[in-house]
Amino acid sequence: MENKTPSVPKWLRFLRERIPVNIEVFEELSKEPIPNHMRNWWYCLGGTPLILFIIQAVTGILLTFYYVPSPTDAWESVRTIHQEVPFGWWIRSIHHWGANLMVVAVMLHMLRVFITGAYRKPRELNWVAGTGLLFTTFGLGFTGYALVYDQLSYWAATVGINIAQQFPFAGPWIARLLRGGDQINPTTLTRLFVLHAGALPAIMLVFVGIHVFLLRIHGIMELEASPEVQQTPLTVEEDRAGKRRFDPNRYFSFFPDHVTTELMVGLFLITFLTMLAIVFPAPLGAPANPEVTPLHIKPEWYFFPVFRWLKLTSLPIGMGGLLFAGLAVVLWPFVDAVLRRRNPKNELGTLVGAGAFLTFLTFLLWEALA
Amino acid sequence: MTEQDGTMSLRFKKIIVALFAVAFIAAVVMVGLIEKERAKPEKAAVVYADERSRTCIECHEQKHIAVDWNRQWSQSRHAQKGIGCIACHEAQPDDPDKWEHENFLLTHVPSPMDCAKCHEQIAAEFADSHHAKAAQFIGSLDNILGEVAEGGPAANLGCRQCHGSQVRLDDKGVPIAGTWPNTGIGRINPDHSSGTCTACHTRHMFSKQQAREPRTCGRCHMGPDHPQIEIFEESKHGIMFAAWREKMELGADKWIVGKTYTAAPLCATCHMGATPTQPNTHDVGLRIAWTLRPALSQRQENWEAKRNSMMEVCRECHAKTWVANYFKMYDDAVDLWNTKFATPAIAIMSELKKANKITPTPFDDGIEWTFYELWHHEGRRARMGASMMGPDFTQWHGFYEVAKHFYTKFLPEAEALLPGVSQPALQMPEHSWKRGMTPDRIKQMLDFYQQRYGQKVQ
Repeated sequence: MENKTPSVPKWLRFLRERIPVNIEVFEELSKEPIPNHMRNWWYCLGGTPLILFIIQAVTGILLTFYYVPSPTDAWESVRTIHQEVPFGWWIRSIHHWGANLMVVAVMLHMLRVFITGAYRKPRELNWVAGTGLLFTTFGLGFTGYALVYDQLSYWAATVGINIAQQFPFAGPWIARLLRGGDQINPTTLTRLFVLHAGALPAIMLVFVGIHVFLLRIHGIMELEASPEVQQTPLTVEEDRAGKRRFDPNRYFSFFPDHVTTELMVGLFLITFLTMLAIVFPAPLGAPANPEVTPLHIKPEWYFFPVFRWLKLTSLPIGMGGLLFAGLAVVLWPFVDAVLRRRNPKNELGTLVGAGAFLTFLTFLLWEALA
Repeated sequence: MTEQDGTMSLRFKKIIVALFAVAFIAAVVMVGLIEKERAKPEKAAVVYADERSRTCIECHEQKHIAVDWNRQWSQSRHAQKGIGCIACHEAQPDDPDKWEHENFLLTHVPSPMDCAKCHEQIAAEFADSHHAKAAQFIGSLDNILGEVAEGGPAANLGCRQCHGSQVRLDDKGVPIAGTWPNTGIGRINPDHSSGTCTACHTRHMFSKQQAREPRTCGRCHMGPDHPQIEIFEESKHGIMFAAWREKMELGADKWIVGKTYTAAPLCATCHMGATPTQPNTHDVGLRIAWTLRPALSQRQENWEAKRNSMMEVCRECHAKTWVANYFKMYDDAVDLWNTKFATPAIAIMSELKKANKITPTPFDDGIEWTFYELWHHEGRRARMGASMMGPDFTQWHGFYEVAKHFYTKFLPEAEALLPGVSQPALQMPEHSWKRGMTPDRIKQMLDFYQQRYGQKVQ
């Protein structure tokens, strides 16, 4: 009798023999259960920074083809990219606006996670990884702004590094690491470039890996489920058994439904970024001149609150406050757990979060309008 | 499409995806159209002009008056660095060349003093150079020829366009015709400075690339009396440049022979360019040991250092012996001109003057034209051809013409005016062949050359 087993194409056999992984595992992964509330796009802000990170990586690589990280040539190379390289202005402007949108997206995502309490047990460590992504995003913003090497960016970097130097304990070391000496010198730009184009993206990838890994093993928190369900992630066995998966009233599949949502967000973002690039191309001021300090030095807008805070306080209080605020953000899930253990209905956390966010916005606007 | 609870169905999302995809394609098409528009040279972005300069640009564009300077400027390094119209054209109330124009106090004629506001060292080097003094030819034989024998209008558009005019203004500060427009390199400006940077760095692009082009030097260094550009083009150096000009990195900021480029040396390489051991200079005479301009060539002041400086440039491409031997041959050729032709010709002209056979007025006697062409045209061609390795200019356009006109024109004309005046010259061993080519005389002459120039002549 003829063998009726469906024949496997040659190329697939070739691959299976060399990569002996059960393809069903990938199929399982693609069926990751997504809670129904995620059908609303505004709950999908976690994917937005990832999409923006990909856009930043692609445009960043293209910019690196022409960018020259030396004090004598940096500004000129940015000008060349913007004015002479075909489509250079577009790529640079997308990178510029993508960086700004990324900060917005990360903050909005954190705000949503905070308000919905999605950082609570067992997801505390994922919040910590998320704060790592926030600080890495700030680091990329700071170093990227410095690379433009016009007057504003040069002096913002100079002042930023001087501020970092005042940070308790590690400050002088951080400043020296960034500058490559006690003063700004030609190697400073090289270091900022290496951080921006190499080290920080690598760190970000590691954090993204941890973030996504923890997300997948915890499962996305069900917004409307009971606290017991929210706090009990699926075990591996339950997951394999498809315990919750096929309840269409509570879940839908990662593929194709959620992937389509992310595709929608991605297409919106790239279109929106292109429109921003057309209407507001990335600015470029006069070349950096270390001998002429501009009248007004301004960092990127997301550092405005820190800038205003430091203007309002003495240096030790200012730096101590920053350190305290930073630690509070990173360790908030554990602080919150202590508060709730004392009184499970305590909503002090929400109040603290709202207060912190409003303070951030107030300081931001204060510095922007000053 | 949407569920009752307000969430989106997969089908609805797919439609949104399709709409965004169309929107994205439309946005990219828009980017493409903008890119196409930006690529047009006249649309080059003018983004760094200061506010006052923008006023100039907008008004000139609006009225369509001399708009091309704006479009050229917009492609210049100045435009990229925010150096606008005002930076160079602004005048102060006590400036002699001030001109009130549309509520701005301006000058028509920016001078090296204006350029020196940013390019101080370059302006200082230029001020020390012969280029800055080129207008001081007034009173020379050339000037009398142009101004008197030929006539003023010829001098305005001839001599002065290279040497430079003395720019004069009317009482409103507007330059007077006949003195301006002028971009002669030694121009005397209304602010009393000398020279013009735009002689080489043509306005309004002020390009290094264009200034380094040999044709830029060739605008003036050409023709029967100083054909440097033709000599260069004939030379190996010129041939190499013609063949490999795309390898010359003419627009490079740091333009160092042996480092930035190796294909060929240009005028700017040898006379001005940076080498691994020497900085670039705008004093074009710093590496010139001889002056070949007058009838009798003379060593320049401090000529040994200048010669060493030039030899150092040559040694970037040539070995020491090559360079030393070449300069020996060049010095011999200059010496040959000086001793064999220039010295006796000058002496004969002096004798004729003393004997009142020619008047003190230049160019009113035929022999004065013959003598002038002998040294000013033919003699220079021979020496300059030798200086820049142009064999045909050394020989056929040079020493051949010199010898022919010295023996067949100059000496007969001098003899006709004052018989016997050429006899002392003809007693020189170099001229002994004229008395007949006997074996003794030929040997005497060959021995003389061997002794004087250290080489065997067949």
